[in-house]
Formats: sequence, C-alpha cells, structure tokens
Amino acid sequence: MLKIIFTLYIYFFSIGTAHAYIDPGTGSIILQAILGFIAVILAGASFYWNKFKLFIKKIFKKDKDANP
Amino acid sequence: MQILKAEPGSFRDPYGKIFYVDDNILRVARYDGINRINFISKNNLLEKLISQDYLIDSKITNQYDSIIDNIEGKIIIKHKKIPFISYPYEWSFEQLKDAAIHHLDLHLFLLENNATLIDASAYNIQFNINKPIFIDILSIKEYVEGEFWLAHKQFCENFLNPLILKSKKGINFNNWFKGNLDGIKTEEIYSILNIKDFFSYNIFTNIFLMNYFDKKILKEESKKKIDLGKKKLSKVALVSILKQLRSFIKNLNYVKSKTTWDTYSQNNTYKKNEEDEKKKIVTNFILKNKFNHLVDMGCNDGVYSEISLSSGCKLVVGFDYDLNSVENAYIKAKNENLNLLPLYLDAANPSSNLGWNETERKGFKARAKFDGMLALAFEHHLAIAKNIPLEQTLKWLINIAPKGLIEFVPKNDETIKKMLLLKGDIFNDYNEQNFKDIILKNAKIVSEHNVSASGRKIFEYNVL
Repeated sequence: MLKIIFTLYIYFFSIGTAHAYIDPGTGSIILQAILGFIAVILAGASFYWNKFKLFIKKIFKKDKDANP
Repeated sequence: MQILKAEPGSFRDPYGKIFYVDDNILRVARYDGINRINFISKNNLLEKLISQDYLIDSKITNQYDSIIDNIEGKIIIKHKKIPFISYPYEWSFEQLKDAAIHHLDLHLFLLENNATLIDASAYNIQFNINKPIFIDILSIKEYVEGEFWLAHKQFCENFLNPLILKSKKGINFNNWFKGNLDGIKTEEIYSILNIKDFFSYNIFTNIFLMNYFDKKILKEESKKKIDLGKKKLSKVALVSILKQLRSFIKNLNYVKSKTTWDTYSQNNTYKKNEEDEKKKIVTNFILKNKFNHLVDMGCNDGVYSEISLSSGCKLVVGFDYDLNSVENAYIKAKNENLNLLPLYLDAANPSSNLGWNETERKGFKARAKFDGMLALAFEHHLAIAKNIPLEQTLKWLINIAPKGLIEFVPKNDETIKKMLLLKGDIFNDYNEQNFKDIILKNAKIVSEHNVSASGRKIFEYNVL
C-alpha cells in the first residue's frame, strides 16, 4: 500500500500545468485526482482478487465433487 | 400582524436566505437556488431525504408569499424548528464524529440519487435533540459526472482535523474551533502531528498531502498556472474517497484523560439519603411546572436531566465545562433516546456572538430561552473558583429562565474547602444570608430545602 502511495506521490510531483484560476482549495483537487486514481486501482485489484478467489474456490469445489 | 425578520447569520449563500415569521423558519430560494429546489423536488428526493432522517423536515409553501412580497422570483421552504441551535465548538468528540458521519452518509445517499453537496460546513448539521440532522437544503444540487468534491478541504477542516486533534494529540478542539469558525486549518494540524501519525493512510493523504499541494500551488501560482479543466474525478472514485473517510472517522477514538467531574455523579460528597432528597426536590419541581424547555447548568452526565425528563419535562439542554461529562451525557442520551442535548459551555467565558458583524453565530445569552432551570452544585464554580461576584453570578443565572432551582454551597462544604485551600478565604460576601438576599432582589423565593449536613441548600425561585 505504502509503495503505491509513494509511487503515485512521485508521479504526481510533475502534475500537468497550464491555465486556470486557482483558489486556496486547489490543493485538494490535485489530491483528489491522486486519491481517485488509488481508488480505481484498488477497486480493480479487489475485482481481480475476488475473481481469483472465486476461481480457486471453484477448483476446490470441483475436486470435492469429483471425490464425494 | 405577522412580523418578518431576517436571520443575520444567513448571508453566505447568494441563492438563499433564512427569514423568521413569528416562530416559523423560512428559507427563501432565488436564482440558481430555485433550480436546486426544483431538482430536489423531482423523483421524490426531498421526501426520501426527510423520511430517512437525513434532512430536517422541509416543505415548499406559498403561505408566506404575501409577507415576503419584496422579493421577486422566489421559492419559500418552511423548515421544522430545531429545539436548540448549537455549534461545533459546543460539541463533544462523539457529537462531532456523529455529525461527520451523518454528513458523509448524506453525501453518499445523494450520489446514489445523482445529487451532491456544494459545501461541507459543520454548521449545516444540527442536533435534533440527540441525533444529527442536515439543515441546509440549498447545499444540495444535481451531480455532474466527473466533478470534483469542492468541499473536500472544508470537510477536513470542519470535521476531520478537529477529530484528529483530539484523537491523536488529546487536545480538545472546542476553544480552537471557537477562535477560528472555519475549523482547524490543515497547515496547523500538520505542524503538530508527527511522523508516526502520518503512517495512517487517511492522515497522510488528507493532511500531509493536502498541506503539501496547498503549499506547492501557492509557490507555483506566480510562475505558472495549473490546468484542472481537463481533470475529472469519477463517481466511483468520489464514493470511494467518502467511504474511506467514513470508515476512518468511525474508528477514531481518543484516550480519555481522567477529569474531576467525569465520575462526579457516582463519587460526590453527598450521602445516599441526601442525594435521594435532592432527586425528590427536582422531581417535585418538574412535576409542578411541566416545562417544555429546561436548562441544566452543570449537567454533568445528565442525572438530573434524566429525572426531569422522566418527571414530564419535554426537552433538556444541559451545559457543562467538562467535556468528558458532556460526552457521557450525550452517549447516554443517544443510547437511551433521551430528549437531552448536552453541550460544552465554560460559563465564565460563554459562547459569545461571533463571526461576521458579530451576528453570524449567536452567543449563549441570545439563544438561552428556557422556561425552567436547574443549577445544582453550580454557582460556587463561578463565585468561588472564578472570583465572579456572587451578585453577578446569581443575576446571570436567574436571567436564563424565569423559574428554577439554585443550590447554595456553603464555605464549610468539602468542595469549597478544597477550592479555598491555596487561595484563602477572600470572599467576605459569600454566605447563605447574602445569597438569599440577592435572589430576593431579582425574584421570589418559592421554597428552600436543606440537602446536606454541610448546609447545602436548594432555593426555588420564580421571577414571574
């Protein structure tokens, strides 16, 4: 987890710069971009993790069915 | 004739203002506020928010159109009255935590219904006795896919940072919050946290990174501008951020430091029979008067508030300057569903009129409209501990409600002996006769009862 944050932290050091008025809350917008990114990665990871768990369960179920 | 009065504290939202007509609370929406109300009224969202206790009971009405006739193009919403308006700097840790969770739950519910919140002010949550409720209908608007949570920083400063201050550093947020009505600033909380605290994902992101980017942007602002126009935050990501915060806040706790008062109701100087007598006096006083709104000054964990409620009083607002006691009373009110709202108050430095033009947040005196009062074992904390002249102490108390019970604690009582141990007896005017004479100058004495062997006495007064 910390590794992910660290990597993203380094990545977002070079956040894109261009044109828009900035109010004092802009820091939180950049932060949300990071948090959102992490959230999507975690959601994706949890999706594949659940799929993987289901796959393993199925294998064991098959084994059980094969040897009642 | 009905009198229209504008709420001086309602000015920040250009799309809506609060007015009072007699005892009715009206919100007048204009401009984009009308679009927001129309959106909320669609798809039963308003009904859902009210029935699920997210939002204070609110109805669109045209009953007051003729009274508020100087405002063109408006929608009027009538809100149910909150029994007592309180502010986050008067709440205990658990109260602010419940308010924060209510805010996040409301936001998550709104996102499910394609709506969102435009701000995250803790003042938009009130305690409808023992439960938090959202009061600002105009903070709700239609959700636009990809939009950022503009109130993220405000949420952190109003809710998260004060809770972390108490949880991680053991510092009560109340007086700090009262000094800065926008809450605890990110840079302030950042500077007092240590490396160990930043190992928490939520503290690292919402405080360390928030502070880092705020500083970085301020530095870069003069050199180049940052484009946020193309960046978007998906709804999935926003929901995930809100859920993360909810789960973090839900698990936040603090180590309770022991105070003199948090076990007072179990360990005090009264004997069992004296305490029973005191309870009987309170019960009879309440049975006789059947108050709607009673104030319990120095409520501790709410023992006498609870007796008052079970004797027929409709609502009790309790005040105490010991936050552990306020916390205990709140948890009891919440668990037992008591009509009790305990709040923090340092009577020697009560909440005053604060904010813009000194009218935005009302002081204790401006809000203290009660029909009855209990001030049991309270006056000596002002008259002896804080050197407030006895006459001023009693006058201030009697002005809070027209009827009440005030307990006199004599100098030979153990608690006062302790108070005077180092200070010495410098209070020549502090005696029972003088106490009685001062009450008589301001009210009638209905009855007086001895309640302890040391000479404690409860006076019932009536100014009517």
